[in-house]
Amino acid sequence: MESSVKKLIPKRSKPYISYLKHITDSGDIAKLIIGFIFVVLVIIPLARMLMHIDASSFNRVLKNVMFPTAVLNSVKVSVIATAITLLIAYLLAFCIERTGIRFKGILNIILILPMLIPSISHGMGLIILLGNNGVITRFLGLRTSIYGLHGIVFGSVMYAFPVAFLMISDVLRYEDCTPYEAAKVLGISGWRQFQSITLPYLRKPMISVIFAIFTMIITDYGVPLMVGGSYITIPVIMYQEVIGQLEFGKGCIYGVILLIPAVVAFIFDFLNKDKGNMSYVSHKLEYNKKKLVNFLSYSICALVSLCTILPIIAFVILGFTKNYPGDLSFTFSNIIKSLDMEADQYLLNSITIALLVSLIGVSLSFFTAYLTARMKSKMSKFLHLIAITSAAVPGIVLGLSYVIVFNQSFIYGTIAILVMVNLIHFFASPYLMMYNSLNKINENLESVGQMLGISRLRMIKDIFIPQSMTTIFEMSSYFFVNCMMTISAVSFLATMSNKPVALMINQFEAQMQLECAAIVSLAILTVNLLIKALVYFAKKAFLYNRSNI
Amino acid sequence: MTNRKKLQILNLEKAYKDKCALDNVSFDVIDGEFLSILGPSGCGKTTLLRIITGLISPDSGRIIKDGTDITKAPPSCRGMGIVFQSYALFENMTVLGNVEYALKIKRATRKHARQKATDIVDQLGLTEHISKKPYELSGGQQQRVAIARTLVLNPDIILFDEPMSALDVSTRLMLRKELKAIQAEFGTTMIYITHDQEEAFALSDRIMVMDEARIVQLDTPDNIIRSPKNNYVRTFVIDNLQAKIDSLANYTVLPLNSGQDL
Repeated sequence: MESSVKKLIPKRSKPYISYLKHITDSGDIAKLIIGFIFVVLVIIPLARMLMHIDASSFNRVLKNVMFPTAVLNSVKVSVIATAITLLIAYLLAFCIERTGIRFKGILNIILILPMLIPSISHGMGLIILLGNNGVITRFLGLRTSIYGLHGIVFGSVMYAFPVAFLMISDVLRYEDCTPYEAAKVLGISGWRQFQSITLPYLRKPMISVIFAIFTMIITDYGVPLMVGGSYITIPVIMYQEVIGQLEFGKGCIYGVILLIPAVVAFIFDFLNKDKGNMSYVSHKLEYNKKKLVNFLSYSICALVSLCTILPIIAFVILGFTKNYPGDLSFTFSNIIKSLDMEADQYLLNSITIALLVSLIGVSLSFFTAYLTARMKSKMSKFLHLIAITSAAVPGIVLGLSYVIVFNQSFIYGTIAILVMVNLIHFFASPYLMMYNSLNKINENLESVGQMLGISRLRMIKDIFIPQSMTTIFEMSSYFFVNCMMTISAVSFLATMSNKPVALMINQFEAQMQLECAAIVSLAILTVNLLIKALVYFAKKAFLYNRSNI
Repeated sequence: MTNRKKLQILNLEKAYKDKCALDNVSFDVIDGEFLSILGPSGCGKTTLLRIITGLISPDSGRIIKDGTDITKAPPSCRGMGIVFQSYALFENMTVLGNVEYALKIKRATRKHARQKATDIVDQLGLTEHISKKPYELSGGQQQRVAIARTLVLNPDIILFDEPMSALDVSTRLMLRKELKAIQAEFGTTMIYITHDQEEAFALSDRIMVMDEARIVQLDTPDNIIRSPKNNYVRTFVIDNLQAKIDSLANYTVLPLNSGQDL
């Protein structure tokens, strides 16, 4: 023992060597490299986009008579849609988390179905159901039009409410229920309880939800492009300027406008985060068992479920009938027609992109989160901040900035650039999942490893990765599903050779081939459902194995 | 007990940013003894433990173990083990997995890893839990797994960082007895960090009282009670101890190590 100890004492090392050792031990070099990658892939493109704005396009934007209207429209739509989304999402979350209704498992699946298809599909679903020739329009003989403000609001709510529902469910699930019991004992009424316990508790998380949903809606072009009609919003103008007229200068100005709410939301969310996030449930509240409450809950859930399923049913009807509404006989011809237009090639593009982003994204976010959560130093804070910055950039803006930076480079038009843009676009959430999960693992594990003589890499392989497996599954499914359905970051970057399938919906709609667009939407939904199911069973199998070794 | 010096701590200094954590700390640890380091939180006792084990390095000073300077040796080569308050077990591994992991990694010990780990698990009375995961165990059991995990590498010094603060009173009393039994059996030198006066007095051969980065008094429990060095020892150690004994007197007879009635 003694001789081995003596050997291990280094000879008087030079100061710079011990400094170098300090840097490698704290992982600062790795942190710098990853931080640098984020600067290159997030900050520099944004800066280039800002520099791309010139006086003449600025003047032309301001002179455009549509401009003030579009800004006003965007704000109006987003405010109304956000309010409705929050109301519905809260009611649903309350029904699922706080009442004794049954079928919660299946409801949880149905209610998040809309998250698995592109926003543009929601717009198209509305057209199929309520358009001038729509299923419901014809069935009920309606005379109203779906196009315009109410159409966008309707579609945006459909598109955004599952996200809000998941966020609020989470908040309600982890609420400590002791205060309610205390209130009950004191004989305080339900309404007063809501005012003095629920509202103060909800305030902070709700602000985060409001900002997230508002940003999501105001930056989306899918829904308004489909059902906006003459009601123009900023993302639609931006889309048309860039795609239709190749007016990149003007596009950049609209990009900056869309960047504002997103950046404000990001900063607000960042400052608003509870320090430590230590809330935990001491015990669950007993379910409300009143018959009236249950009846209302069932009604709300049924109504919303119907609304989420109807568009999908509409896709099926349209996709699998010969010639809606004339000939309703079953057929596969629309699938064949879509295949003739190489939909399968584009679907393969999407799956390739989604797989690559999941693979690289999971590795990169695990590695980054490990550096920030398990090797804390000053550099960690910098890396953490830069790693979540991408959340402040709307996809459509990120996409435009990538066009400006990369359109001359060799990766333009390849799958690689779409992988890159999606990776950055969706990085923040999975990274934060991993960061939180690694932070929760016992802080002394590294010390134990050092004492037992186990290297960091070995610890990562044997301890940290196995303990984060469920998070890793969730991360991969998040990356995959979002890559399959996104139309925002990829819209300006895609070319004929690397186009993801979600962008076909728009193209088919423009060619008046709604049935093919329906088939594509269904294909995306199917792939995403399969992946969700796969991840679900993989997680179950993993947990089962873990408890049986 | 022989009075051979196991560990010599010489003039350790450590400062964080603006706060001094250790101010010229020197003491000896005798082979096979149970030494408690007693002090309020923030007095530098955890820093001291981390420096002795090599998890952090001191600004200056030396650590001599069995006559060899180990100040710069890596933690795993010091022949020491550490047990934390929060157990810090490998949650994804079974009890056996936790204990044999370190052995399995090294080529030299791989062959007999299973046998050796099973033996230690046996000795600590964990046999019936051998294939359970940490979350299926009680706090006391988890802490015994943590002890087994360090014992399996044959350390000659084990350091404890407030290992019982998270446990309830009855489990503590039981674990105290076990610690002493382990020490008797393995002859391990134990350095035990605590802010609990009663615990220090119940377990230790010697107690080192610390305050504000310095050693205040280092002596046997008897001597500390008989002749406290200054007012601090009198108030922080003896008064608190008396108060605890008064409050506990109704429930249990304290197994005071010195056997002395206060």
